Amino acid sequence: MDLSIHDLVKRFGKLTALDHVSLEVAQGSFVCFLGPSGCGKTTLLRVIAGLEEADGGSIRLGESDLSSIPARNRNFGVVFQSYSLFPNMTAARNVGYGLECRRWDKPRMQNRIKEMLDLVHLADQAEKLPSQMSGGQQQRIALARALAPDPSALLLDEPLSALDAKVREELRIEIRAVQKRLGITTIMVTHDQEEALAMADLIVVMSKGRIEQIGTPQQLYREPATAFVADFIGRMNVLPLDPGAAGSYRFAGTPLAVATLANGTANAATAAALGIRPEAVALRERGASGENILAVDVRSVSFLGNITRVELAPENRPETAIVAELHGTATVPETGTRLAVSLPADALRVLS
Amino acid sequence: MSVSAAREPQRAGKAAGWASDRSITMGLSVLAAIPILLFLLLPLTGILLRGFETPSGFGIGNFTETFGAERFWRLVLNSISMSLTATLAAVGLAYFYAYALQRAAIPFKPFLRIAVLTPLFAPSLVQAQGLILLLGRNGVLNRFLGFDIDIYGFWGTAIANALYAFPYAYLILSAALAVADARIYESAETLGAGPARIFRDVTLPATRFGLAAAIFVVFTLVMTDFGNPMVIGGDFSVLATEVYNQVIGQAQFGLGAVIGIVLLVPAILAKLIEKRISSRQHALVTAQSKPLETKPSRGRDLAFSLYAYTVVSLILSVLVIVVVASFVRLWPYNMSFTLKHYEFDVQNGTAPLWNSVGVSLATAILGVAITGLTAIVVQKFKNPLTGPLSLLAILPAAVPGMVLGLGYVLTFNDPANPLNVLYGSFTLIVILSVYYNHAHAFLISSTSLKQIGPVFDEASTTLGGSTLTTLRKVTLPLLWPTLLGVGVFYFMRTMVSLSAVIFLVTPSTQLAAVSVLQLSDRGAVNQAAAFSVCIMAIVIGCLLIVRTILWLAGAKNVTLIR
Ligand SMILES: Nc1ncnc2c1ncn2[C@@H]1O[C@H](COP(=O)(O)OP(=O)(O)O)[C@@H](O)[C@H]1O
Ligand SMILES: [Mg+2]
Repeated sequence: MDLSIHDLVKRFGKLTALDHVSLEVAQGSFVCFLGPSGCGKTTLLRVIAGLEEADGGSIRLGESDLSSIPARNRNFGVVFQSYSLFPNMTAARNVGYGLECRRWDKPRMQNRIKEMLDLVHLADQAEKLPSQMSGGQQQRIALARALAPDPSALLLDEPLSALDAKVREELRIEIRAVQKRLGITTIMVTHDQEEALAMADLIVVMSKGRIEQIGTPQQLYREPATAFVADFIGRMNVLPLDPGAAGSYRFAGTPLAVATLANGTANAATAAALGIRPEAVALRERGASGENILAVDVRSVSFLGNITRVELAPENRPETAIVAELHGTATVPETGTRLAVSLPADALRVLS
Repeated sequence: MSVSAAREPQRAGKAAGWASDRSITMGLSVLAAIPILLFLLLPLTGILLRGFETPSGFGIGNFTETFGAERFWRLVLNSISMSLTATLAAVGLAYFYAYALQRAAIPFKPFLRIAVLTPLFAPSLVQAQGLILLLGRNGVLNRFLGFDIDIYGFWGTAIANALYAFPYAYLILSAALAVADARIYESAETLGAGPARIFRDVTLPATRFGLAAAIFVVFTLVMTDFGNPMVIGGDFSVLATEVYNQVIGQAQFGLGAVIGIVLLVPAILAKLIEKRISSRQHALVTAQSKPLETKPSRGRDLAFSLYAYTVVSLILSVLVIVVVASFVRLWPYNMSFTLKHYEFDVQNGTAPLWNSVGVSLATAILGVAITGLTAIVVQKFKNPLTGPLSLLAILPAAVPGMVLGLGYVLTFNDPANPLNVLYGSFTLIVILSVYYNHAHAFLISSTSLKQIGPVFDEASTTLGGSTLTTLRKVTLPLLWPTLLGVGVFYFMRTMVSLSAVIFLVTPSTQLAAVSVLQLSDRGAVNQAAAFSVCIMAIVIGCLLIVRTILWLAGAKNVTLIR
């Protein structure tokens, strides 16, 4: 069953934590809510889980309206950011807790607990208390606990953020594998773009209680709709358009050609800036001719191993730096060199 | 996809689930609210109403009559001057005692920490008993060393009360001195400040809130205490003893109520100020703070050791002398060993002792149930009752035991009150003891519940647990060591409490602490001492048992002595 969220609003006093949020989550997909801290990701997840009551809007799962169903009857599995295993229960009892609440009989429960512990590779930890387990193990048990009652969806709130880098990477792969195997609809909250790009089928980028853009990782990287998304997902040069140039794209006095994208959402009327990824910026000799050529000075050069980052100041707009990334052993310019850049039309993105 | 029944949200049960959880939390809230209204708010209203009740109807006659009497103002002056003296002494001594234990290297700190709390294990008149045995007419000093000290009166009362209040001050100040940010001390030192200057410019300001809190707590405690002035006051009367004389001696309930109200006012004021102050104490230490470590310093450590051991000897000697007196034939003339005072062939024999144990156990059980429930309702539920309930729950902190006890008499001895059947029973004494100590017990439980945090409730809810399941399987198992601690607190306080129950006991519901008072009143000092020793022994025994249980269960971080 698909999860469909329509026009959700949530306020905390004066603060609007969710500002008319609408979104569809397809059955079996892995969706990440991505955004900076405080943008409302957790709030959205908690409203979906039923832990927070919305001030407006609706949530539907398949045909059923969830708004009036309390959290405990929604049948969603939730994994929290902080360790939330019951400290007075062993790993096995934690996993079985949801089954106890559903009054499963003993043998069926034991089987299910074993199955779940095997799923997260922790069968040998069954009798341990949470305090005797590492953070990574605890979160895996929390995952098993959430999955045990066969929930209709899995909701994860930054489940990896308290772990150290190596464990985080392992668990990332494991969560994704489990999700694929069970085919369970999953929503994960994160503020880490790398995590979202690596795991999600679909990313929902949020900012200040609103959805900025929804798309696959590739779409968001290639075709960011707004300057915010462009900047948040990978690095992107954002070139504010010259004022009073309605209908055409002019930057630093130079008209720029932009290739129209098949599904481009932005149009010239709402355009505020152009974006281009650093790896798409090509260096040219000063005076080179062609489309989308700008005169620039090399401001600084940083060698970073496999890439070299060159910061360039456009001659007519030195305050807006353009960063280029050169790969491998390309010839590296010196600081202060007067050059030009070519901004390929098909690499330029229109940002609103 | 496979559409199994388990995957569907439970639509049929949804309305019922929502409603039943709501009605259960509401039901529990009402269950917590009713007794607190009946047994706390009603008696307090009762005392206010009675204060305004005169033979000619409702009016301020009692007040004008009381305030017009020269005797009343003398009592006010006596109470205030004695309380100020005792407060200054207790807080001053306790501050440096706590300082010595927190900031200096002294041998046998655990002993010093426990020993200084022993007055909490004894009825609140044991200090007066000890002082009399030491310095009274038939005290050791006057009889054998040729002194001519008259301890009865102002000084005896002040000293006894200072010793009595010392542990309360120590607990507050010790907590205030325990939090310190080493970085501030280090920067003061690197800037060239000497120890005296650091104390004046860093330590004292950082603990001024704790100091103020200790002063308010001790002042109200002493002002409203009645055991010590009864025993050692002689002709020196204070407001607390006057309430007793008016009510028990002359059945002047209206006048008693007026003085009760007079005692209530400073107690409530002090509590309000203290609350404001202590809420600001916490901000001083942040997450980045570095704990202060004591560096050895010979001179300082020696001086503080001397000081601490002197203070602890003073406190212990008063208790020890009571223990000794209980084992000698006739203090101080015949000091040969005997157990005859433990035969308890006077009055009701050992009955009061067992009554006390029974009442204290019942108070512990009922108290844990009531405060546990109230704390859970206030911390975990959200409905219109929880706000008022949390206020009522801490109200007893501002009500002196005597005043609450008087309120009970005025309310429940009224035949028109359906609850009048409880009057004269142990049940009412138990209930009074529960509500007298309610505030502190409630705060202990609430703090512990807050530390457990909402994430476990939310985890349980999303897994399908109802409110009751969550309580039973998660909250209570995590809370039980704290609740056991609350039970011990109730038991201890009820065993030694005198002023709250004094108006409610009858010859058939006699309690140990009251027996001590009556025995010493009749001059049976040795038997009174034996009774006190039994009370202390029972309290200490209870502490040891519970400590063992907690130790066996692996719960080591529970504070039992409060
Ligand atoms: N219970 C609450 N009461 C008041 N404000 C809240 C509460 N929960 C969240 N907020 C506020 O709502 C905003 C969104 O919070 P949250 O959803 O936790 O952000 P995120 O998870 O994206 O970091 C923040 O400004 C936060 O301070
Ligand atoms: Mg969050």
